[in-house]
Amino acid sequence: MRVNPNMVPNMLADLAQSQSALNTALQEVATGKSVSQPSDNPSASADMVQNSIETANVDQYTQNTSSALSMVQTADSSLSSVVTSLTQAISLGTEASNGTINASNLQAIATQVQGILSSVVSQANTDYEGVYLFGGTASTTAPYTASSSSASGYTYNGNNNSNSVAIGDDQSVQVNLPGSQVFSNSTTDVLGSLSSLVSAIQSGSSSAIESATSSVSAALSYVDQQRVVYGNAETQLNSQETYLQNETVNLTSQQTSLIGIDEATAAETLSADETANSAALAAAAKVLPTTLLNYLSTPQ
Amino acid sequence: MPDVIAMGGLSTSLLIGVQALEVSQGALNATSNNIANANTAGYTREVPAISENAESVSGGVVTGGGVTLTGLQSVRDELLNLQIQQQTSSQSQADTTSTALSQVQTYFSTSGTDIETAFANFSSSLAALSSNPSSSSQQAGVISNGKNLAQAFNNTANGLTNVQSAMDEQVTQTVSQINTLSKQIAQLNSQLSQLTAAGQSGGTVEDQRDQLVQNLSQLTGISVTQSSNGEVITTGNGTPLVMGSQSFTLQTTTGSDGMQQVLDSSGNNVTSSIQGGTLGASITVRDQTIPSYLSQLNTLATQFASAFNAAQAKGYDSNGNTGQAFFSVPSSGTGAAAGLAVAITDPSQIAISSDGSAGSNGNVANLSAALTAALPSGKSPAQSFSDLVYQVGNDASNANTQSSAIAANLLQLTNQQSSVSGVSIDEETTNLIRYQTAYEAAARIVSTIQALSTVTLDMGASQSY
Repeated sequence: MRVNPNMVPNMLADLAQSQSALNTALQEVATGKSVSQPSDNPSASADMVQNSIETANVDQYTQNTSSALSMVQTADSSLSSVVTSLTQAISLGTEASNGTINASNLQAIATQVQGILSSVVSQANTDYEGVYLFGGTASTTAPYTASSSSASGYTYNGNNNSNSVAIGDDQSVQVNLPGSQVFSNSTTDVLGSLSSLVSAIQSGSSSAIESATSSVSAALSYVDQQRVVYGNAETQLNSQETYLQNETVNLTSQQTSLIGIDEATAAETLSADETANSAALAAAAKVLPTTLLNYLSTPQ
Repeated sequence: MPDVIAMGGLSTSLLIGVQALEVSQGALNATSNNIANANTAGYTREVPAISENAESVSGGVVTGGGVTLTGLQSVRDELLNLQIQQQTSSQSQADTTSTALSQVQTYFSTSGTDIETAFANFSSSLAALSSNPSSSSQQAGVISNGKNLAQAFNNTANGLTNVQSAMDEQVTQTVSQINTLSKQIAQLNSQLSQLTAAGQSGGTVEDQRDQLVQNLSQLTGISVTQSSNGEVITTGNGTPLVMGSQSFTLQTTTGSDGMQQVLDSSGNNVTSSIQGGTLGASITVRDQTIPSYLSQLNTLATQFASAFNAAQAKGYDSNGNTGQAFFSVPSSGTGAAAGLAVAITDPSQIAISSDGSAGSNGNVANLSAALTAALPSGKSPAQSFSDLVYQVGNDASNANTQSSAIAANLLQLTNQQSSVSGVSIDEETTNLIRYQTAYEAAARIVSTIQALSTVTLDMGASQSY
């Protein structure tokens, strides 16, 4: 069989092939990605859609978790201050009820308890970055404002609902308790019991002071119980934070395995492709210009 | 009568010498023409057809009759040419598809403004609302990410439509190129039949025609047969293009969908039956591939918009009103992705609240769920889009693979063709030396005979003394 005399198309095809392999290898090393368009790896590209949406969500859940944690901690420390204040009010009430204190001192104690009441109210109006923590879902207005018409002297502006923050695809955590539940519910009314303690001390009646003090101490144990909600939320948020950190690592490693490169392999491929390309070029340079004419002496 | 034979032999030898000179000259011509056309596309090498003349018998003595150059023959393999034509059609089909799809897939690559990124940003801005529902900057973030998402849908749909229009444009151009080539081929057919009738070799015309037929096969899949009237060329489905010296014109006309339809010479619509080549690929990409992507994108846009609007309607905005539609989408369905837009402008209109109070985040969960819950299509928006990305990537990758596989195949066929028909400089150089030597030898015969004739004539003159 006659040998194909025209080596140019073959050479060009070889050169194009090694050049294209070199380009691909170079692009992979330069970008650190093995997939830069869907056709490079259709199924990896499709998986990346889910991965990038999930990654963005996990980032946001992580932020949500840390801000929810701050919210919960702020609320919890407010309640802790309230507990301290109530303890103080109880000891003042006990002191006032023993009948040996004179009227002017009783007035002084009453003023002190009144001060405790306003500090509890200010704790109840705690906000985190402008979000009131004890107003239910009406978190844009201060939950308690002074009101002469109310028995306790303060009126509740919030509602009975609560907000939950999303910290996972199907996971959320309750971040607030409405003030109507913590501070002013009908059975254990923190603000109301403090306010009646003030009136009882002012009246000077030992039995009234004792009864008011015991209401305050019931309110204290109720508030203490409510802190469990925050404690649980804190535990849940801490474990979710760890979970989300792991999830971020997982998603990143999934991303690397989908569209990333192994740098060592990529560098090796690049250098192999370089060698192949130079070899193809060298072969073309050597073979193409040669014909029989090179070996014939020029006709005289 | 021995001397008579000798005289006759001398002039016969002269005649043979002259014939040899002519033949060598003809062969040198062929060689030089081959060398001259070594790099001409479609050129088929020619070899001199040399034959020995009939012997002459005179008085029982047989003498050779010399040599004749009967013509130049092109060395071609018709079967190989046919295979090359078919593969050329497939190659240009795969190339056209691959080029179109590589444009399409840029809209599905992660670029920062693509649907994937926009979905991710929109989803995370919604989750951010959950931790701070009353923050106006978070609310504004949702609106702007919603707009980016709508924009990403618009860009992708418009990008697909642009590629579709480019393909449509290509249909018109290709049809006009096909008509030009058909006409030229018919002319060459007519020239060729005249040459054949006159008993001449039409090698050059045949080369030109083969080259044009190959160009034609790039444009569309064709079938080539030989008839008594010359070559007959039809498209793959039988629409005639060339019959001997007659050519048939294809026409284009705007169809009901606004796309160019291809009509045969009698006005029948043959668009859907055209396969192979640039034309076949353009029509397939334009009428099947892109419409399928667009319809999936439109379904996704419509269903996602209505799911999100339904979630929006479950809650209350910052002013305590029931949430109104967040996205607006053209009701026609087609053009949904291109026309998707954010309907509300004021961040306070996002239905974040579940109880009507401004600080509630209760409806955020519903809004977020619209992004992850299954749409009526049975898949979540992310899954639907990811399916589409897979399909686009897979189609593009198949077209690329096909293109390089056919390229390898075609290279092999071209090599085979070249091994039959290609000009080898080495071979021609060798022939040059052969024919040069033969020419020199023939010239030597003529000069020798001349010298001998002089001797014979001189001999006669001396006898006359």
